[in-house]
Amino acid sequence: MIWEVFRQEKTGGYHAHCGNVHAPDREMAKQFAAIQHGRRKPTNSLWVVPREEIGEIDSEDVAFGGATDRSYRWATAYNTTGEDAREVVESEDEQATAERQRGDD
Amino acid sequence: MNVDAVTKRAGPREFSPADDLPREYREAATRMIEFHANSEIMGAYLERPFIRQAPSIDRKLAFSAKVQDEIGHGQLLYRAAESLGVKTREEMLDDLANGDGKFLNCFHYPLKSWVDVPMISFFVDGAAMRRQATLRRTSWEPYAHAMDKVCFEEGFHVKHGEDILKELMTGSRKERQMTQEAFEEWWPRIIQFFGPTDDKSTHHDFAASVGLKQQSNDQLRDAFLDQYIPKARKHGLEIPDEPRIRERDDGTYAVEEGDLDWDEFFTIAKNDYEPGLGQINGRKHAQDAVQWVRDTIENDATTAGGHAPQAAD
Repeated sequence: MIWEVFRQEKTGGYHAHCGNVHAPDREMAKQFAAIQHGRRKPTNSLWVVPREEIGEIDSEDVAFGGATDRSYRWATAYNTTGEDAREVVESEDEQATAERQRGDD
Repeated sequence: MNVDAVTKRAGPREFSPADDLPREYREAATRMIEFHANSEIMGAYLERPFIRQAPSIDRKLAFSAKVQDEIGHGQLLYRAAESLGVKTREEMLDDLANGDGKFLNCFHYPLKSWVDVPMISFFVDGAAMRRQATLRRTSWEPYAHAMDKVCFEEGFHVKHGEDILKELMTGSRKERQMTQEAFEEWWPRIIQFFGPTDDKSTHHDFAASVGLKQQSNDQLRDAFLDQYIPKARKHGLEIPDEPRIRERDDGTYAVEEGDLDWDEFFTIAKNDYEPGLGQINGRKHAQDAVQWVRDTIENDATTAGGHAPQAAD
């Protein structure tokens, strides 16, 4: 049985997928995960999830974000006057990064 | 863990559903996040009619995307609140529908026309974003994670809101005048977004001591004024004489709290304010009107896949 492993580096962080282990049950899966994925990289917590419990939808199935022009949804589409609040600037930067990663521009 | 242990450990994103937390913490966090979630939903319902009334197709697209985002924020926050184990999502939504759920003062007032829209989607959203940015460091990890996504999206809302304001304030004389009047009506409510002063705040001390809240009402309000008074002026809005606003020697601003209507604020806080009841009932009406959609999704999963003609065909 295959268990997907998600690692959280430190308290408060996100559990991100980092690999999988073979194990007959949840207890063994946790132990294998601790050994295989929690030894070298910084680890605060691990989740193990049976692979067959995971549902997947990918870009073969669906056009994520839709096929139409949605530039109006991005902070970068609007020019404002004067200095923006720092949290607005931060949000816009995060959006600009996401746009680049999506290859929209 | 008891309250002392929680206070000692309290820090950004410190506690997760895996921790054994005292009732006091769970209840305080539930109250705070449920209020936040309810406000997202009630804000979306307040703005919803203006998707239809938007003056151009661009505005309509952007505004409907924004309202959709806000409903999504509500959903994220109900999950973060539910994970505290005090109330279920169902209970929170029921309380909101029957008038027991509390939400932001600004969303108890009706939005009357398009010139009111930037008062919410620029100023109130700007105020909300200031507060939400600090909540990325709250001690309840699911709340902090919800804030990551909310803040990511909210920059678009605030900038689009400012774009609407700019368009109105560079429009006709009549538009500028109407926008100024809307600003004068909304300005005191916007300042009250941050709640009563620190010494009158009911829940601040505990929430701050266990790391749920990161900044006091006064700190947030002052930071908002420092940022948004110059913005308002830049767009040609005149700051009303009341409430009086004092400019400190270092160029920052503070408001004269006594000039604000706190009786109205606390009437609203108890859900006793008449126009606010209209908002609550309006949402209930909208919910009832689209009950058939929920019924269809829940009961019709099988027929949806079949080829038998449906009523909508």
